[in-house]
Amino acid sequence: MALLTMDAAKKSATSGTSNKPRRGLARSTSGGWKQVAGNQAFLIPAIVVFIFLFVIPLCQTFYWSLTDFTGYSTDANFIGLSNYKIIMTDPSMLAGLGFTLLFGVGTTLLVTLLAIPLAVQLNKVFFGRNLVRSLWFFPAIPSMAILGLVWRYILSPLESGVLNSTLHDLFGINALPWLSDNTLARLSVIMVGVWGATGWHAVLYTAYLQSIPGDIYEVARVDGANARQQFFGLTLPLLTPAIVVSTFLLMTGGLKVFDLPYTLTNGGPGFATYTLTQSIVVSGVSQGRYGLASALAVLFTIAVALLAFGQLALTKMIERKFV
Amino acid sequence: MKKTVLKLGAAVLAASLALAGCADPDSGKTKVTFLSWTGEEQMKPILEAFHAANEDIKIEASYSPPVAEYIQTLQTRVLSGTAPDVFVIAAENKTNLLDGGHVIDLSGEPYISKVESFNTETYGRDGKAYGLSVSSWAAGYMYNEDLLKQVGYDTFPTTWDDFLVMSKKLQDAGIKPFLESVDQMPTTLSAWIGAKTNTMDGKLDDKIFSGETTFAAEWTPYLEQYNRIYTEGLVSKDVVGLDGDMIRDEFANGRVAVMNAGPWVINALRESSPDLKFKFALVPGVDGGEPFAAGAASPGYAINSKSDETKQAAAKKFLEFLASKEGVQIFHEQTRDVTVTDDFEPEVDPAFEPLASSIRNGQLYLPMIAWQRSEDILNVEAVAQIQRMIQGEITPAEVAKAMDTKLAGS
Amino acid sequence: MTKAPWRRITLSIAMILLALFIAIPLYYIVVNTFKTQGDMVSSPLGIPTKPFLGNYAEVLTDPRIYKSFLNTLYVTVMSVVLQLMVGAMAAYAMLMRTSRTNKIIANVLLIGFIVPGQSTLIPLYRTLVGFNLVDSLNGLIVMYMGGSIFCYFLIQGYMKTLPFEIVEAARIDGASTGQIFLQIVLPLIKPILITVGVFQTMWVWNDFLLPTVFISSPSKRTVVLQVYNAVSEFTTNWPMFMTVSVVALIPMVVFFIFAQRHIVNGLLAGGVKG
Repeated sequence: MALLTMDAAKKSATSGTSNKPRRGLARSTSGGWKQVAGNQAFLIPAIVVFIFLFVIPLCQTFYWSLTDFTGYSTDANFIGLSNYKIIMTDPSMLAGLGFTLLFGVGTTLLVTLLAIPLAVQLNKVFFGRNLVRSLWFFPAIPSMAILGLVWRYILSPLESGVLNSTLHDLFGINALPWLSDNTLARLSVIMVGVWGATGWHAVLYTAYLQSIPGDIYEVARVDGANARQQFFGLTLPLLTPAIVVSTFLLMTGGLKVFDLPYTLTNGGPGFATYTLTQSIVVSGVSQGRYGLASALAVLFTIAVALLAFGQLALTKMIERKFV
Repeated sequence: MKKTVLKLGAAVLAASLALAGCADPDSGKTKVTFLSWTGEEQMKPILEAFHAANEDIKIEASYSPPVAEYIQTLQTRVLSGTAPDVFVIAAENKTNLLDGGHVIDLSGEPYISKVESFNTETYGRDGKAYGLSVSSWAAGYMYNEDLLKQVGYDTFPTTWDDFLVMSKKLQDAGIKPFLESVDQMPTTLSAWIGAKTNTMDGKLDDKIFSGETTFAAEWTPYLEQYNRIYTEGLVSKDVVGLDGDMIRDEFANGRVAVMNAGPWVINALRESSPDLKFKFALVPGVDGGEPFAAGAASPGYAINSKSDETKQAAAKKFLEFLASKEGVQIFHEQTRDVTVTDDFEPEVDPAFEPLASSIRNGQLYLPMIAWQRSEDILNVEAVAQIQRMIQGEITPAEVAKAMDTKLAGS
Repeated sequence: MTKAPWRRITLSIAMILLALFIAIPLYYIVVNTFKTQGDMVSSPLGIPTKPFLGNYAEVLTDPRIYKSFLNTLYVTVMSVVLQLMVGAMAAYAMLMRTSRTNKIIANVLLIGFIVPGQSTLIPLYRTLVGFNLVDSLNGLIVMYMGGSIFCYFLIQGYMKTLPFEIVEAARIDGASTGQIFLQIVLPLIKPILITVGVFQTMWVWNDFLLPTVFISSPSKRTVVLQVYNAVSEFTTNWPMFMTVSVVALIPMVVFFIFAQRHIVNGLLAGGVKG
């Protein structure tokens, strides 16, 4: 039983409603027009924010994507779809797309796979649990911009690099080109991304785990289920609502990543870890090609929307299957 | 909880407002806004000296660290019509600022004629001068004298072939011969192209940009020569993952004999490794070319064309001071930059001596500043493609071809 | 359930070791704040033989760091409170009335949550120029209001778990829509407000992108910009850089320790459907 529901039940004069857990707050009201108007007024701030911060800029971005706007002089010429054509034929832009997808999907999968078992462990009683939770939290606190710079030093490909010299002293392994080999650089960026997000998401799962009543496990044990069967048969299905939230956050955040590769590798070596967001920022701000940056932004928005909605639909489908 | 947060917010708001409302002791003075490229600590004594000499002018300085942040800050301010009265014109924004008519012509001003013509030409176009640049920077090779002695070298090689021979000897003696950061245009390549364009009266880039010749034709031989240190196994391909600081630390700990470097590493090296004996050298010549240095005129001070006449006049006084003997001296003391005005002789660190004359004579080259348009686009492309070449993914010819493609598409 | 003591001990040791491994970068950051640049070059992981406090002395005597703290505090507090208000109000309205129009609006708002910040950055800059909100802390707050859509979604999901009868009872007692929101709904959703608030606080406090583009005056720098200011064009004073980072993050660590209990409680309640 949820803490809040109990909490609410205590405060509520109509106690006992918490016995009907599926009854939600959502329903249409039957009040008069005054009540409806009063209700809808609560939507106004959000709609204003939405129009001002999303609708107007998106329209402007779309318009500029059809022009040669430079950002230095305000007169821009309409040039049709030329910017889109440049993006489709420019290898550096397409390279950005590849790594962005890899990072988004890679971190989502890896963090989810690591965070759930970690959460199960963090949920157990053991000595020093609060310290351990805090340490796992730590990567979520500093900004990725700072951590990227620190990791760049740790992952230096030289023999004297922090990680390389440690590996050599402990295991006699020769220096590995963490940031100077295409594949390893991609892996390193993803690894640091996973390192940064796993603790936070594990705590999210931990919270959901605490809501699973212990007696369910008791029943399962009496029925002879082993630990593995309990995890896959009980824990995982009960965690699906958390998985929907967590993966949605991870996927949208991963596709929008900017700080981490920018500070860790600056997109290199070559274009190995170049991201679409870096393309947008570099062409729009450093190179004065606002038109091109806008076209890139439009395509990026569509792509992220498709992926995020698709993924949301998929996880919701799985959720419905279990719950 | 909520209320506490709100109270806290109100308190913060009140405190911020109180800070903003101070009395202004500078009313009546002509105020000139200035976006400084040089850091706050170094700029402060210069401004103090200027204010002491010009009591009717107040310079309101703001700071933005170079390079990317500065360019971005200035661009957004130019775009929004809030550009400062004095700012700097640099390699990265020269074309855009000149094309948009955002800076005034300074040619004919007395202080412009005091500086080395190379510096003025860097920030000029069609015989006009748009920026006052009082110093230059140069980068070349820095070598560990003790390590070179171990393989029998007292002086630094002057040709690329000799340099490769020496590198091989160092490598055979178990010493890492050379490291060069390639997170930007390699110093070696800049110096070689500079030596080449220097023999043809500086016209190489004119020809490339007018379509008379191509990067493929001009750059490929140099890229091929450069790539030899990687294909011959003298230098690890890992340099693509290194930045200048990491290479400097390798050098400081005596783990590499030669590196690319500029004067900015001197202080850090002397602090971390007081016993290290090091010296600068020009980049060895290739294919019969002279040894040369990479480098450029430091960004020039420019005056906003949108500022009113009073402010422009005051701004000119500020520039005059910056180029004066007193101004240049303070600037040199603060930044240790090698200055290029005719009435002040800068003090040069003995280790840096071999590069100092290049600066004083304007014998420097940096592709990005010599290019006439799409500088940043070409530079980003070139650096990324050179990294791919070092990793063995593409050939030197393909690097040059990619640059031609970028130029054609921009 | 009870477990054999040795299993618990093994688990403790394993978990602590793993967590310490994960926290190595933390050690790396902190230990180097007590070194000079020369010390760090010669031994980056070692414990300094003689702790050097010069970095802290320099950072803490620089008035700019305090100014940037004040700026960040102002921006963070204002924008997070406003985001939560806007988000909670929208969620409330949406749940009180599930008409067809509101269902459409709910889906359209979802698009706002999907849009990546970088796509709207450039035109928003131009728009804010018109409102004189560029290079202004209030301009940053306006920009961060985009986060209210995110708040709306998490709060709305949580509200679905509330017992509707409480609201019904209040309405019968004659409470207005506003009264119900302020006096009944807001206290009930406190756990999720804190949870989302913590999440958004971390984002605003640490954000690099928006301040880089929107703030140019040194006096308006946020903490992350101040940290970046320690990275110069050619050479980085790493010990100094890390010291500034540590100082900048101390308030977040303190905030986190205080909020941690509420985060778990908040997420716990929000995640359960009944």
